[in-house]
This record gives sequence, C-alpha cells and structure tokens, in this order.
Amino acid sequence: MEPTRTEAIVLAAMDYRESDRIVTLFTLQYGKLRGVAKGAKRSARRFGPALEPFARIDVELVVREGLSSLRGADIVTLYPGIRRDLRAIGLAGYAVELVDRYLPDGAPTPRLFRLLSSYLERLDQGEPLPSDRRFFEANFLNILGYRISLDHCASCGVELPATAERRAGASGMILCASCGRYGASVGPEAAALLGRCLATGRFGAVLFSPQSLREAGTLLDGAIAAHLTRPLNSLVFLKQIEPD
Amino acid sequence: MLQSSNSFARLLAELQKLPGVGEKTALRLAFHLLKYPENTAALAESLGEVLSRVKFCSICFGITEEDPCRLCSSDRDETSLCVVEEPQDLLAVERTRAFRGRYHVLQGALSPLNGVTPDRLRIAELMRRLEGGAVREVVIATNFSVEGETTALYLARQIKPLGIRVTRLAHGIPLGSDLEYVDAATVQRALEGRSEL
Ligand SMILES: [Zn+2]
Ligand SMILES: [Zn+2]
Repeated sequence: MEPTRTEAIVLAAMDYRESDRIVTLFTLQYGKLRGVAKGAKRSARRFGPALEPFARIDVELVVREGLSSLRGADIVTLYPGIRRDLRAIGLAGYAVELVDRYLPDGAPTPRLFRLLSSYLERLDQGEPLPSDRRFFEANFLNILGYRISLDHCASCGVELPATAERRAGASGMILCASCGRYGASVGPEAAALLGRCLATGRFGAVLFSPQSLREAGTLLDGAIAAHLTRPLNSLVFLKQIEPD
Repeated sequence: MLQSSNSFARLLAELQKLPGVGEKTALRLAFHLLKYPENTAALAESLGEVLSRVKFCSICFGITEEDPCRLCSSDRDETSLCVVEEPQDLLAVERTRAFRGRYHVLQGALSPLNGVTPDRLRIAELMRRLEGGAVREVVIATNFSVEGETTALYLARQIKPLGIRVTRLAHGIPLGSDLEYVDAATVQRALEGRSEL
C-alpha cells in the first residue's frame, strides 16, 4: 500500500513495546485513526517531539484497518504558547480528549478539524478565556449532531421566544419553565449568546457575561456528559487547577 | 524442545517485561544466560540483593540502600532543591557536577490525559519539605515533554506563594526531550542558564 500525507492533530500517545509509540490521530483526510510509529519512543530521534499530545503535524502514513503505520511526521506547530500556560495545557488536553472520546474511527470531519485547530491556535495566542471554551463546546456538539435546540422545549415542544425563561434539563436539553421546574435557569442572554456561538464560526466573536457563562456552562457540561460513559480525565485535572 | 520447557518460557516472558526487550531480544538474552551459568548465577544473586536492599529514600525518593540516602545525609547545600521526574534524571543532573544542592524525585510526571493527577506523585512530600523553610530556590528539572512542562508549571504555581524562587532548566534542551537522554554538557548549560518560572 502506498503511503499518503495528511494534516493531523495528536489526540493521545503512549510508548509501546521496544521503541515504538502508539498514537491516536485526528487527521483531516481520514478522520480519527490509531497508528503505530516504529522507533518513536522519546529516546529515539526519528519522530522527535512530533507525537506529543495536541501537536499539529503533517504525517506520512499507510492507512490500514485497525492500526495504521506512520512513516514520518513533520511538525507544523507544538503550540509553544499553550505549553507555557498551565490552564491552556489543561484546556488543550480537554479539547483533544473530547474529540478522542466522541469521534468514531475513520469518519473524516473537516469542520471539526478546523474547529479544534482554531481553538488550539486561540489557546496558543493568549490568555485562555472561559467564553472560548464554551464556544468550542457548543460548536463541537453541533458538528457531531448534538446541537442544543434553543427555540423549543425538548420535552413538551412549546416554542420558546427570545425573552423566555429556559431551564437546563438533566442531560443538557433546553426545557420550558414548567417542564424544567427543578432545572438550573438559562436566561435569555445565555440563550442568545449560545445561538450566536452556533451562527458565527469565529473564536472571540462571542463573549459571555459572568452570569450567562455560568448558565451556558451548566447546560453544556450536562450535554457533554450525557453522551459519555465515563468522565473525562482532563476534566478532573481542569477542576483541580481552576477551582470555582 | 526448549520452547516447551515451562521454566524457559517463563524466563522469556519475564525478560520481555523489561523496557526495550521484545521477543527476539528475549530469546537471545535467554540463550546467553544458559550458555554462561556462572554469570547467570551471579546475576540472579544480585537481583535478589537489589530487591532486598535497594529502596526509596524517605526524604528525596531517589533510590538508595541506606535511608536517608547519601545525598540527603551529606553536607550539600540545603538552600537549593532540584526536582526531577525519575531517579535516572537525578543521575543525569549529578553527572554534570554543576549542581551542589539537594534533590526531590517526583516518581513520575503529571499526565492529565492519562489520569496522572498531582496526588499520584510525590508532590505532597515535596511541599512538606519546603515548609521546613531551609530551601530558597527550587530548580525544576522535569522533562521537556508536555507532561514535564505541565508538572513544572503546576509546581511553580504551588511553590511561588511560599516565597521560594522557582527556576526551570532552559537553554539548549529541545522541546519534547527526556532529560536522561540529553548529554551532560547540554544539561550543565541548561542548569547554569536556568530561568525564573
Ligand atoms: Zn416544556
Ligand atoms: Zn535522599
């Protein structure tokens, strides 16, 4: 089989056997895949630091069912700005783990690839903003087909006008005030800003106020957890470094 | 023949648990061990000895036969403390002869993606040592991998509020590399050129 080249982001990596490394890559062309890089353990020079978590690389590989085989990798960026900031590292780890856990193998998802690389670039360039995390999550869910429906109650179907008081259901659904009596409130501002997140593709275009950030956060955390069977490791770490 | 021998198969299996040893290497090593029985007996004895005598120092968590270890009970500079991931990294820094202080071995590095959180490392023990008050500077010599950088930044955040200077090995060590594989001269330059974290 002929090797091909594709852009990729390293989602996970671990040393394997004598001197190899097994990596999970999110490639632009082939989607998520697992591959083995012979002689890539950090002691060896061949791949250098290219196979570290969240590195952006240009990879040469033979795509196979199961385990692909990596021939070489050029570093596009190791995101030095992220590696200088503990919260940025935590958030970058969270973003790649989220993609790793949600995305099935071998499903090319270029929109998600662009979203993830934009988020990593954003984290690399400056102070990590909580609004950006929520922007990433809202669009992440949307791209994978779990869009949060903002204008109808997920339970009774009643239409919710812009000014309506919404509630967060147990698994991150939007409910009307009567169906979601015991749910956390999602005010009109938070709902409007979440809508804006989905309407624009640009990081930095949406800034949440502290209150709307809390409300949107509760909703998104619930929506993300709803589709996972066990909690994300990176989330445990994020909570340890940003107690709130 | 040999392959069907239980003890030989077990030896192969045990050898393959060693880092860098695959099936072929294990077979080569095993035949070598059989060919030189005196050497093999000496090796077996030394393995037993290591198991019964070598342990982790209760102060720095490096490997030692006496507790506390030679470095911890020496008259080395108590005001500066070098923090490394593994005992072999301690040796890498010692080889430079450029560091006169003491050590603390974390026995790993933070790896949020793999669930290695601060409580899994010897960080609480480090903080207790620092509360003793003698240390004025902590030199962080974790690897330059994402895990090593994460650990360095996390430690800096924990330690700085104590009013202790925190520095990080700097020049010449490429992003992504493991300390134990970097040559002594480069580690020495990095030590001398350490920068504030
Ligand atoms: Zn309803
Ligand atoms: Zn010691």
